[in-house]
Amino acid sequence: MHEWSVAYSVVKTLTENFNKKVLKVTLVIPQFSFLDIDLLKEAFNELKKENPVTENAELQVRIAEPIFKCRNCGREFRLSDVEKQINDVRSSYGEEYPLHLMPELFPAFLKCPYCGSHDIEAKGQEMYIENVVVEDGAVARTS
Amino acid sequence: MEPLRELAKDKLKGKKVVAVMSAKGGVGKSVISALLSLSLPSTVTLIDLDIHTMAIAKLFGVENKELEVDKEGIQPIKIKNVGLISLAGIVRDRYVLLPGKNQSNVMKELVAYSAIKSDYVVFDLPPGLGDEILVLEELTDFKPVVVTTPSKVSLKVVNYLLDYLKERGKKPTVIVNMSYFNCGNEKVKPFGDYQGDINLPIDPTLEDYIGRIQEYEGEVKKVLRENLDKIV
Repeated sequence: MHEWSVAYSVVKTLTENFNKKVLKVTLVIPQFSFLDIDLLKEAFNELKKENPVTENAELQVRIAEPIFKCRNCGREFRLSDVEKQINDVRSSYGEEYPLHLMPELFPAFLKCPYCGSHDIEAKGQEMYIENVVVEDGAVARTS
Repeated sequence: MEPLRELAKDKLKGKKVVAVMSAKGGVGKSVISALLSLSLPSTVTLIDLDIHTMAIAKLFGVENKELEVDKEGIQPIKIKNVGLISLAGIVRDRYVLLPGKNQSNVMKELVAYSAIKSDYVVFDLPPGLGDEILVLEELTDFKPVVVTTPSKVSLKVVNYLLDYLKERGKKPTVIVNMSYFNCGNEKVKPFGDYQGDINLPIDPTLEDYIGRIQEYEGEVKKVLRENLDKIV
């Protein structure tokens, strides 16, 4: 259900920042938020009708796999290294689990697989709009 | 482009926003945020930005209540005229320890992904001069309510915050909490004498209402209600 909020944030960003009709928008989302892409697109296609800027827009989604770095021991690790930790959070909280609703909470729930520190950062975990194609064919790189 | 930030700004657009803050901890920000929200004349969304203590949920006795999520976002927990949004409804009874950048973004997520439909939005901020004030400035214009006690230590620290707000062109309302108690016809001031815009009394019975603050109708709420025009 949270996918509707994410879809609305994309529609809102487009209507606030563009006055030409948008044809295509590429949204990058972090893998560990486990958003349902079909539901996200369905919500976007419903919400885009509200505004002429977005009514013809197609939503593309790119899922980014973050690379984590521990600030304590300096080692890097990937999502697959903390898969069990993520699954534990998912199974103890259910469908609307904290990392799905608020991916930025990840350091509170995940820890470095090498030293156990929660002082971790992730490159490529932010949700952002990567590019937007508007009516006259221009591609606006937005990141 | 940051969809998160755009959405958070949109959620606060057209609302009357009050931010209850202090540079010092333990001065009563959360109790005042709660009583202020319950005293306002219309609907209020009370957002607990103190993501480490999550005191609002504890004051209202909803710390184990899960927030519902629907198409409009995270639905506040409705109590009287107030809708509560707290991270406690998402992480439940668990510690939240976050590096600075994540802290700012979690605050934005909390605002952006919530269904905010009230006339007023009250933010209960964590103590200190930090990310939360910068985040709020990024998202909306707000009326600062600065809370202190009459203690010299608190006043000294709170002055830094007042200097900052002044530099930013804001006009804060200063609430001096725990400033006196009534003893017969006399006002006793055990912690020092300092006149703010609003001076709140000490009411020992308030402690009995932790977990059901919505039922409290005592002296502190009465004085706060009489002075609402100094805030909104």
